[in-house]
Amino acid sequence: MIVGTGVTKTYKQRGGVLGGRDVPALRGVDFAVPKGGAVSFIGESGCGKTTLGRIIAGLETYDSGDIVIDGVSMSGLSHRRRQPYFRRIQLIHQDPYSALNPTRTVHQTLQAPLALRARQTDRSRSWTDERAEELLSLVGLDPGYVLPRYPHQLSGGMRQRVVIARALTMDPEVLVADEAVSMIDVSLRLGILSLLKDLRLRLGVGVLFITHDIATARYIGDDSELYVLYRGQVVERGNTETVIADPVHPYTQSLLSAIPVLHGLERPGPERVVPTEALDEAQADGGCLFARRCPFATERCVSEMPVLGRPGEGGQRHACFHPQRRSVIPVGAGRHAGAGG
Amino acid sequence: MTPTTVTAPGVRIRDLTVVYKTPAGELPAVSGVNLSLEPGTITGVVGESGSGKSTLALSLLNAVQPPGRIAAGSVEIDGLGDVLTLGGEDLRRARGRQVGYVFQAAQNSLNPLKTIGKQLLDLGRSHDVEDLRGLVRDAKELLARMGMDGARVLDSHQHELSGGMRQRVGIMLALVLNAKVVVLDEPTTALDMITQATILRIIREVHDERSLTTLVITHDVGAIAEVADSLAVMYGGRVVEHGEVTEVLGAPRHPYTQGLIRAIPRLSGDISEARALPGRPPTLGTLPAAGCVFRERCERRMAVCETDEPIPVFRDGRTVACHAVDHPLALVKRKEFA
Repeated sequence: MIVGTGVTKTYKQRGGVLGGRDVPALRGVDFAVPKGGAVSFIGESGCGKTTLGRIIAGLETYDSGDIVIDGVSMSGLSHRRRQPYFRRIQLIHQDPYSALNPTRTVHQTLQAPLALRARQTDRSRSWTDERAEELLSLVGLDPGYVLPRYPHQLSGGMRQRVVIARALTMDPEVLVADEAVSMIDVSLRLGILSLLKDLRLRLGVGVLFITHDIATARYIGDDSELYVLYRGQVVERGNTETVIADPVHPYTQSLLSAIPVLHGLERPGPERVVPTEALDEAQADGGCLFARRCPFATERCVSEMPVLGRPGEGGQRHACFHPQRRSVIPVGAGRHAGAGG
Repeated sequence: MTPTTVTAPGVRIRDLTVVYKTPAGELPAVSGVNLSLEPGTITGVVGESGSGKSTLALSLLNAVQPPGRIAAGSVEIDGLGDVLTLGGEDLRRARGRQVGYVFQAAQNSLNPLKTIGKQLLDLGRSHDVEDLRGLVRDAKELLARMGMDGARVLDSHQHELSGGMRQRVGIMLALVLNAKVVVLDEPTTALDMITQATILRIIREVHDERSLTTLVITHDVGAIAEVADSLAVMYGGRVVEHGEVTEVLGAPRHPYTQGLIRAIPRLSGDISEARALPGRPPTLGTLPAAGCVFRERCERRMAVCETDEPIPVFRDGRTVACHAVDHPLALVKRKEFA
């Protein structure tokens, strides 16, 4: 179980004649990744979702707030003492093409972490070969085919599975998947998504899923929780299906409205929301961060900043003064895809 | 620039074959493709990696680079003739004047050392535009049309612009010489959802206002569904299905199109109905030499698929290349598809 409270992170931009500008990446984010659970962070680039993922994986520091892993606060620990905790959290990179060393075979790629793991757990060297085959089978690859091969001999989907197998060598409790399917061919994306879902069920591994494509978040489990981030703040949070079907924050509604409609298969939602302006990161703070772009903003939104409230009737929480349900996602047009199935 | 009443040109791609030289010999990335772009429409070409869609797009400019080579076929553009027979100066003039091209990742196709305005003037000079002031005026109008401050953008370097802004600059550079045929290669890849929606709307509006013939190449079926009139689905260097976009999406006939649509993560509908296609997309090296290119992954394959390549058949406004399409369903029951 990983619990974060009030996590903040500010990047200092260097250079410029007048000195640097502070870029707030996270403005006090609370989150919880339950054991074996699934949590998705969604938002546009620059919303802080990747920074949060890297902080949770121990690859980035945070400025204030706290992260508690299995009851132990990370804030008071030295870098060395934190390591065993962060070892339980493994990152799956976005780009399976650059995440693997091109000069190493899959066998070599898996050997190094497995040898380390064997030493840590007092196992014999022969265990590593056995374990490598086991892990590759687990991620749906044929060990005999894959082990002797170099990354360039494998397809994007296979490489991503190797990356996932490598993350599993450390016996993690949580996998952090940062845009793990955005570079995979469309016909194979669901395969990787159902693998993550499958690993949750079979190994009890928690999944932290970071994406800009909200639709993919539905496929890692119907018990998953969705966090919508905007400029470093969580603006809406709740069960994934609930937030997608019944969003109340205008930003969540804008994101969902922007997803292309498969005309012929579905019709656009009747109340789609379009932001009034483009994102301006340099925009001054104060008031709701989304107010300038929000079609429903009032004077209060400009002067006062809303915070994430208590769970409402649908069980979701939001940071908005004027929450209202709007029907924004596409509606089925009656005909089904895949008439051959 | 005033909207002209000149009718949009049609484009006819006939029996186009493009091969790439590899250690294993010359292998076809595009194989005998026939595709007509009706005047004034947006045609979407959708395909996965290795489907040959980008190679097809480059052929419209006769710009396939070695080790690639256009081995056969023709690309007829109204008012220009067969692009594949053009060369030297004629070809250079046609690119930009008649055929505008917005490259994949427009962010990387701009010169980082020059302002957008300087690059615009370079473009004008290389095409012997006499009225450079007029060109700048047209560019500003186009940029304003796409919701940007033209003067500011022209004075900017590319690093000062966001991804969505660079994409719009790419579209401006493709249209400013008044090209009537426009090719957009992956226009929304690497853009955020909201920006993507904006760019798609702009593509549609500018297309209508300037009466263009537009080709959009992408791997994203959703993006095509938002803008295109007709949809061509490519697989293994072939166009396997082509028809009106809502028809193809609503009632796909080729097993690949059916599988692809079923594999798209969607916001509504039953999650358990969605599934990935088994197997993986072919590469140049793994394309079968005979028979149907999709048969390895196909749930409806028959004996004939192993030996004969299916011929595209046009019926009811739809072209489909599949042996199984005229056969009743459920011929094959294999466990992995159950």
